[in-house]
Amino acid sequence: MRVAVVAGSIKTGIRIAKEMESLPGIDVLVVLCNAGKRSPLLRWSRELLSVLKSLKWWTLTRKACSYARQGRLIILHRPLDDAESIQRLRSLQCDVGLHAANVIYREPTISAFRLGILNAHIGILPKYRGRCVVEWSVLQGDPTGVTVFFIDSGIDTGRLIVLREFIPSSGWKRVGALKNMLFGCDARLYRKALGTLMQPEVPFETNDISKGQRYYVMSKMFIRVVNQVLLDNRV
Amino acid sequence: MALGTALSRPAQLDSCEWVLRGALLRRRAELRKSWRHFISSECLESLGSLAKEVESVLSGQDTFRDWRFAAAFTWMNCNASFIDCLGAIALGRDIGHRSSNTGPVGLSLVSFNKLASNQRSEILCDRYRCPLNIGLHAESDIAEELLRQLMVPDRAKLEAGAEFDVDMVMLKVNLVGVRAMITRDLRYLDALNYFYELPRRSLTRMRANPRFLASWLCIYAQLLSTPDW
Repeated sequence: MRVAVVAGSIKTGIRIAKEMESLPGIDVLVVLCNAGKRSPLLRWSRELLSVLKSLKWWTLTRKACSYARQGRLIILHRPLDDAESIQRLRSLQCDVGLHAANVIYREPTISAFRLGILNAHIGILPKYRGRCVVEWSVLQGDPTGVTVFFIDSGIDTGRLIVLREFIPSSGWKRVGALKNMLFGCDARLYRKALGTLMQPEVPFETNDISKGQRYYVMSKMFIRVVNQVLLDNRV
Repeated sequence: MALGTALSRPAQLDSCEWVLRGALLRRRAELRKSWRHFISSECLESLGSLAKEVESVLSGQDTFRDWRFAAAFTWMNCNASFIDCLGAIALGRDIGHRSSNTGPVGLSLVSFNKLASNQRSEILCDRYRCPLNIGLHAESDIAEELLRQLMVPDRAKLEAGAEFDVDMVMLKVNLVGVRAMITRDLRYLDALNYFYELPRRSLTRMRANPRFLASWLCIYAQLLSTPDW
């Protein structure tokens, strides 16, 4: 299976790609996209800074160079939904894309991958779609976790859920830290999802959007409530 | 873990409700002191005879009127205009509604979103002449769309300090507030929290429509005093 990590930064792309390497039968690429449509100077300065800030900057640099030498680090200079970028993505003939960039995908980009693009959403689908879903789950007394599903052009409305993992919020004092931990589960869960996809019969679950709601950015007041609830229930 | 098992509400919910109640009451106390920053004395004067009642609701003791009964209706009609009905709901007064067997035909969101802002505003004021109708189950799609517009494009414009249609935004904030009163959906309440927390420079622009501004704050005060979220 040929997989491309669609990443917003080298650091993220390499981190996820490294995890995929350990899965037999996976050929992994990193597609680096210019999510913020930054100027080349700003884009590469940020990349450099991000690599240097990493504790394992030397390993990261070596790995990135190795990917580049093997032609497995693809840099898109134009926006992801630009015709030139889509053509480039198609030419890679990937089966699956792994979302790791701060972008919204349009249909032509998604269909450039044979099976589609997977997203590790830090909320439990179908109930929690949209923004601040960790905060809303805690506020409404629901479990937290990550859902890996195939995206479509809507907001967390993609029909096929590959896996869902419940990850308790207990022990976390601040919702920001809890979210970072959940975001950090992406590589491991992508690996698990790809493992599932390589099985002869995939037990997909349907993301029935009528069973959930879309959530939005949470107010400061409610975030304080969520932090207090986390603190009170810290066991 | 099966989804059904995992989604059962854990014991933390009780503590969550207490924390939430405390936060709402603190915000209510804050609003009691701060509402004059939102409604200037000129704004208040322009409300005429309503000014005293608005002042009393915002500065007075916690009061709320339970509008949840409205969810049980099919459609409600009122004789008063939209703005008068909205004002009455905001002040916790009777609105003289009566139930009707037939409601208006469904509103297509696609066509609605294609209309010019003033036409959208007209359609909403006409459809929700009795604003309690926004809380009906049948109106969920429209209410969700209004909430999305407020919390995505309108929020982005407000945060960026860009131009926005004050009347339309205030109309949506009011309708979203009325829906929160009826459905007790925390997302709708939080949209009002969010607007309350916006930088004051954004909010001062909302003084362009004193009646909508006053009704929003009175609805918000009632929502904060509501005990059972």
